[in-house]
Order: sequence, then C-alpha cells, then structure tokens
Amino acid sequence: MQDNSEPKNIERRRFIRNGMQLALAGTLVGVAALSVKKTRASGMVWQIDPFKCVQCGRCATECVRMPSAVKCVHAYNLCGYCDLCGGYLKPDPNARSTAAENQLCPTAAIQRRFIEDPFYEYVIDENLCIGCAKCVAGCTSFGNGSLHLQIRHNLCKNCNECAIARVCPAEAISRIPADKPYQIKGGFRKTPAKDKG
Amino acid sequence: MKRKHINIILVILALAIVFIIGKDFIGNKAGKNMDNPYKLDVDQFKKIDSTTVLYNEIKTFQVNDSSPKGIAVAGKQILVLTEKQLIRYDYSGKELSRFELPDTANCIAPVTKDQIWIGMLHSVASFDANGKLLTRWKNFDENSVITSLAVSGKTVYVADAGNRIVYQCNTNGEILSKIGEKNEQKGVPGYIIPSPCFDLALDDNGFLWVANTGRHSLENYNHDGSLRTAWGESSVKIDGFIGCCNPAQFAILPDNSFVTAEKGIPRIKLYDQHGVLQGIVAAPQLFDNGWYAPDLAIDVNQRILALDFDRKQVRIFEKNVNGNK
Ligand code: SF4
Ligand code: SF4
Ligand code: SF4
Repeated sequence: MQDNSEPKNIERRRFIRNGMQLALAGTLVGVAALSVKKTRASGMVWQIDPFKCVQCGRCATECVRMPSAVKCVHAYNLCGYCDLCGGYLKPDPNARSTAAENQLCPTAAIQRRFIEDPFYEYVIDENLCIGCAKCVAGCTSFGNGSLHLQIRHNLCKNCNECAIARVCPAEAISRIPADKPYQIKGGFRKTPAKDKG
Repeated sequence: MKRKHINIILVILALAIVFIIGKDFIGNKAGKNMDNPYKLDVDQFKKIDSTTVLYNEIKTFQVNDSSPKGIAVAGKQILVLTEKQLIRYDYSGKELSRFELPDTANCIAPVTKDQIWIGMLHSVASFDANGKLLTRWKNFDENSVITSLAVSGKTVYVADAGNRIVYQCNTNGEILSKIGEKNEQKGVPGYIIPSPCFDLALDDNGFLWVANTGRHSLENYNHDGSLRTAWGESSVKIDGFIGCCNPAQFAILPDNSFVTAEKGIPRIKLYDQHGVLQGIVAAPQLFDNGWYAPDLAIDVNQRILALDFDRKQVRIFEKNVNGNK
C-alpha cells in the first residue's frame, strides 16, 4: 500500500504561503478601494473650516490654480466696521488711512469705504486676493474674526486630492456636500458654540 | 512556476504601495512644516519685560459649568455666574451652593449688601443671598445686550452693548437718564462698541467709568451725564490698547487705580488713577488665546480675580515683590 499523503511540514508551509498570498492580495484590494473612495467622492467639494484655519499661508502657495482658488470672504454680520481695522491696517500704522504703507494686504485687495462716522466697511476684491490669510490673521487676532478664507467653487477644479489639503497643518480642509459648498462664519458655527461677548 | 510569478507580482505591487505611501507621508510632513511667506507675526506684540509683572497667580480652580459668564466677590465667597445658574465657591475652589436663574444670564454686578444684581439678555434682576428673586425689570428692547451692571445706593447703571448706551436706573427699573449718547455740548464723543464688550464700573467716589472699547478709552461721567475725563490710547505698545474692542473688561481698585483685561492679545494690566501704566497683572503667555478677555473682580485683600472663559477657570492674582515695591 502506497502512502500518498505529503509530509506534515510541507502541508503547513503551503498553508502559510497561501495565507500570506491571500492576506497580501486582500491588503492590495483594500488599499486600492480606499484610494478610489478617497479620490472619487461624487457630490462632494473641498472646503475650509474657518474655525480650524491657522492662517499658515499655504492656501496662497499650494493651490494648483494661480492665483489660488481660495479667497478671503467677509461675514459682514460679525464685523465691527471699525476705523482701526486689524484686518485692513498693519498693527502699528502711521495713520488710519488707505495709504499703501499702512495696509496689511500684500496685494491691496481690501477696499476701505467710509459709511458714517465712525464706521467703515471692508470689501474684498476677489480678483486681487491671493488667499494668503494675512488679513484673516489680523482680524482674528485684533478684531471679531469676520474675515476668513473659503475655496471659491467657480475657481476650484475640485481636484481628486486638494493640493492645499495635503499640506494644511490644521487639517482645516475637507470634502463637504456640494449642495452646501460653503462654510461661512456667522451661519456656520464652531461646535460647541461660544457666545460670551 | 505560475504561482512563483504571482508571488513576484504581489511583492512588487506591495513595495510600490509602500514607496508611494512613504513618499506621500514624507512629502506631506515637509509640506506641513513650510515657512509662511505671508506670516503676520502677532507674537512680537506679546513679549513683555518680566520686571514689569507686578502680580503672581496664587490660586486657580476649575468652574463646574461649561458656560461661565461673570465673576463677583461676596465677602469670603466667590460668585461665578453661568448662563443658567449662580454658583458660590470658597477660596479653595470648593462649591458651596448654586441656584437656577430665570433667564439666560450675561453679567453680574459687584456685590453690595448681600444683594446680587444680574444682567440677563433683555432684563435685569436682583436676588437675595439665598437666591430668592427680589426684583426683575424687563423694560429693555430686543436689540439690548446687557453686558455690565454697577450699583450705588438706589442707582443701577446698565451697559447695553446692543444699543450702545448706558442707562441710569433706579432700583425699580425706571430709566432716569441715558449716558453716553453723542453730545458735543456735553463733550460726549459717543460709544463705538464693535462687539458685545462694553463694561462699566464705579470708582471710590461713586463716579461712573465706561469702557468706550472702539475708541480704546475709559470715560468718566458726572452724575448729569457730562464727560468728566477720559484716558486711553490706541497703540500696539504695552501701555496702549489694540484691537477692535479694548479694554474689553475692567475693574477699579479702592485707590481708584484700574485693572484692565484685553482680548486679541490677552493680557491684564494695572493703571494708576490717571491712566498711567503701572505694570502687568497677567502676561499674554498665561492665556490660551485671545477670543475672550477674562471678567474681573477685586476682593477685600485687593487680589484680582479673573474668570478665564477659555479654560473655564477662576484665576486669582496677588501682588508680588515687584508690585509691593
Ligand atoms: S492651508 Fe489650512 S491653515 Fe493654512 S491658510 Fe489654508 S486653510 Fe488655513
Ligand atoms: S490679505 Fe491675503 S487673504 Fe486677505 S484679502 Fe489680501 S490677499 Fe486676500
Ligand atoms: S478687524 Fe475684522 S471685525 Fe474688525 S473691522 Fe476689521 S474686518 Fe471688521
């Protein structure tokens, strides 16, 4: 009588090898599926959470669009309409005037308009804005935080992977539903809400 | 042979994935550490000379509520106002009692004669020491945002940031006069209040001081509402006030010197009765961020109590060697 059974150690080796192959193939399929999921999110667009943004400047330098698809937006209902605007003026201005040397914005993209004593309105010229967040830093540090950045969807190419999101140190950029494509301060709130004046 | 090929392909694919993920990881890490060519260096304005620090923080305790709104001292107890309650603590931070409030609260007056005055959103109420409601007036309009109260005898001063005005009321809530409306004849410039930071306090002589935060000044009024005097300067320098709405909070010591708390660059400073800077109570480095200026109270030992809204802590400061010189 002939014994056809393989020695036990060969059987074990084959079992381990098959297991490893299955695990490796499974991992590859998993990674591929994850990548597809990450890059193809239909009905979603990239947007900045203004409460997470730390004004690092990457939005101006990293966007594949030049100038950046990120622009400063103004939540007028939060603005103090101050004469001494921390978003418009350098922290130690020579005068509260529209003179270029007193302006914080490197591209003079903010217009200051007199409304009535003592109030001024600040309007962003999106054609000039490069999304550098310098004014956002000024308004956040010294004002009410009404100036903030948003990705403008008329300019954004909705890349599979947002070049700014990759390097944003605050992880402030994520995909949100395309039917609510903006996170404007004032309506959109940080959670939990903080209301102390 | 066939199996060998599959193995080789799988290993090559795995190595490729490891390479791509590694490259991405290293690339992202480097990207996240890049310099910012557009940096606005706010930290330079936070630097202070340590010899100008006149106070040390001697005690800190956590407030047992997520929405603290104001602080006051009543004898040996510390009162912390929250949105819905008033909590009493002893100086060790032990909670002694708490009572519910009838509406959303916003500010508390310095306590006199065991009567506690609290500013709600559109109303003002007073309570006895046990939390029994004594009076409540609801005669403010829907634009009102009551941000500060001070009581002197039968007069209650009410700061309304929404309407940018101070009401002088009697204890029944009748408005006797409005203080701070722009009036060139009385020398009153009018309030600029860009945010709900609008504090007031009474000095030792019973005269009213109001923080005109948009003008970066503290204004002092006669009883008829005319302007007596004012001080304060807009400046990034340590002796000035910067930002849209500062000093956001202040309190007056028995010698009529001023303690001010600022938002933006968070700091607490001490000024003499003429508005000359004496030194620092709490440096910006002691605070997490500048979203909210701490509310202030002074106790009988002239210690400064600050309610830190970010950390939700009561922080007590006492004069140090520099301060006692
Ligand atoms: S990269 Fe992120 S943190 Fe930097 S400016 Fe843009 S959103 Fe703000
Ligand atoms: S400072 Fe920068 S973000 Fe702000 S308006 Fe100017 S270019 Fe735009
Ligand atoms: S600092 Fe900000 S909140 Fe203040 S006036 Fe300027 S834009 Fe408005």
